[in-house]
Amino acid sequence: MTSPILRIEDVHKSYGSLQVLKGVSLTVQPREVVVLVGPSGSGKSTLLRCINLLNPPTKGRIWLEDQEITAPGVNQDRVRQSIGMVFQEFNLFTHLTALGNVMIGLVKVRKMRKHEAHDLAMFELERVGLADRAHYYPAQLSGGQKQRVAIARALGMDPHIMLFDEPTSALDPELTGEVLAVMQKLAAEGMTMIVVSHEMGFARQVANRVVFMEDGVVVEEGTPQQMFEQPVHERTRAFLRNIMQ
Amino acid sequence: MELLQDLLTTFNFIVQGLWVTISVTAVALTVGLALGITMAIVRVYGHPALQTAVSVYSVVIRATPVIVIIFILFFVISRYINLSPFWAGALALGFASGAYQTEIFRGAIQAVQPGQMIAARAIGMSRLQAIQSIVLPQALRLALPSWGNEATLVLKDSTLVFAVGVPEILRRAQQVSARTFEPFLAFGVALLLYLALTLITTQALQRLERRYRLQV
Amino acid sequence: MHDFIDLLNKVTPDLWQGTVVTLQIAVVSLALGMIVGLPIGVGRVYGPVWLQRILGAYLTLFQGTPLLIQLFVVYYGLPDIGVTLGRLQAAFLTLGLNSAAYQAEYLRSALQSVSEGQMTAARAIGMSKWQAIWSVILPQAVRLALPAWSNEAVAMLKYTSVVFLIAVPDLMGQAKILASRYFAPIQIYLIVAVFYIVLVGIAYLILTLIERRTRIPGLTGDAA
Repeated sequence: MTSPILRIEDVHKSYGSLQVLKGVSLTVQPREVVVLVGPSGSGKSTLLRCINLLNPPTKGRIWLEDQEITAPGVNQDRVRQSIGMVFQEFNLFTHLTALGNVMIGLVKVRKMRKHEAHDLAMFELERVGLADRAHYYPAQLSGGQKQRVAIARALGMDPHIMLFDEPTSALDPELTGEVLAVMQKLAAEGMTMIVVSHEMGFARQVANRVVFMEDGVVVEEGTPQQMFEQPVHERTRAFLRNIMQ
Repeated sequence: MELLQDLLTTFNFIVQGLWVTISVTAVALTVGLALGITMAIVRVYGHPALQTAVSVYSVVIRATPVIVIIFILFFVISRYINLSPFWAGALALGFASGAYQTEIFRGAIQAVQPGQMIAARAIGMSRLQAIQSIVLPQALRLALPSWGNEATLVLKDSTLVFAVGVPEILRRAQQVSARTFEPFLAFGVALLLYLALTLITTQALQRLERRYRLQV
Repeated sequence: MHDFIDLLNKVTPDLWQGTVVTLQIAVVSLALGMIVGLPIGVGRVYGPVWLQRILGAYLTLFQGTPLLIQLFVVYYGLPDIGVTLGRLQAAFLTLGLNSAAYQAEYLRSALQSVSEGQMTAARAIGMSKWQAIWSVILPQAVRLALPAWSNEAVAMLKYTSVVFLIAVPDLMGQAKILASRYFAPIQIYLIVAVFYIVLVGIAYLILTLIERRTRIPGLTGDAA
């Protein structure tokens, strides 16, 4: 049994009096693709933002590889270099071209030289199929293209694990395919991924594990086959029934 | 304490210019208001030739520093009419403000939805009636935030009439400092007086805005 | 008419000298305004609360009082407490600090209109807060603030006109001398008005051109 790449232990997150995460524990193995599902408000996005310390947990601990990233004194910016994140609203830097978006992290954070950064950035854009759009600004790209650039930007940082927060929810239906295809390719290449999504087709085909969350806790988890065909808990069944309609 | 005594005498002397400052501002704003509303109406509804004339007035005046306008008008007015510096200065300031207020009211009139004018005509109002009873009341309320801003600017610019000899706050401060040889105190007091004036004015304007502002 | 052309020829050289001084003052003050205004704007948005309050007081002081009185306090008042400045220095300093207050506000507004997602994305790739402000937020904010800044730049040409009241030989300063020399105040000041109008017009055209050249698709007043 290899050691897990990510270990989340009893994580709680509150905003003032509002408790969003009420004790979540999860272990992720290297190269695993975990899909997080659940109704809105269940805390899925919050969990992702706890993992990369954008909004650190109020209680509980998280280990990335062998480092406890929730320990006091940890350089959070450093940690975030190893965790890639893709957002629902893309959040591309509007004043930079696609190439610029991928390069900026390489130059400013990874301290690469311009021409090295340029080559690596082009490589990542190639990887997501957008090398020919390198010099376009975000406003000139379609939603699907924007999201793929966002993926390239995250990949450029050479992350050990990629987090996807509803990557296709803001896209028109005909554009989701191109993004999911890239994500599938990444998974095939061995990237560890945690994906919050409603795309059940993707979950069935690509996920190694599906985790169902509701009300700030993990209700059930299992392989896609187990979860979709023989869910144990009634709440899971109810949710899946709703989603499938 | 000597400093406190100095402060009080200085303050008392300068504060007598307060009324003059307020009066100059009031006159200028009123003149500017009358000019602004009239010109704005002409600009939006008037004969094309008149529209151009108003545009020219607006652009030319706004491109010229206020002090230059005050000087020109002051000398022009003084040559032909016998007016005190107070009136010459205040009217000149009003004339300048008129150009900025024209733009403010023009924008506000154009922001009133076209449907309003159409509806007014549809119930038989003449153009003038419609402007007067439907468009203008709304435009004036829409203009309130920008107009409030202009009012504060006129208050601050009113100090420029000091250069044509009007005994407002700055002039008084200058006189006092020539006597007491304490310019920092004198001009400092003038500065703080204006600060108080602008803060009070801003508060009053905000209250006015809250009551009358039109939310579209 | 002949007399007027005559007068025009006589005064133009001096007025031109004054114009050069006016331009100098405008450019230096604008630059000072940028250098001081940028950190103030950033501090107002990202600084600790106590700093925001102090900066707010600075802004209230400079925006809430007439430029002319600020000028008098600096040129006539400061020597009283031990700081003596030359006329030009006083002009640069006062106009610069005054402009900084307005530029800071334009920048603050622009910084706040950059969407929060930009900061989130920047932190997500490992940038520190200040790296993100410098490399991602500010570049966008500066472009968003450009129209307001252009207005400030053009208006600065007009604001410089009060410095003649502390005897700086700018355009208005020369005008005053010439008006009494030739006993023709109305004509001289009218000529000066034309000078200013032309200056303002040229500045406006140049800035509109710059705005057009530096435009980035998608980065307008409503950045996503």
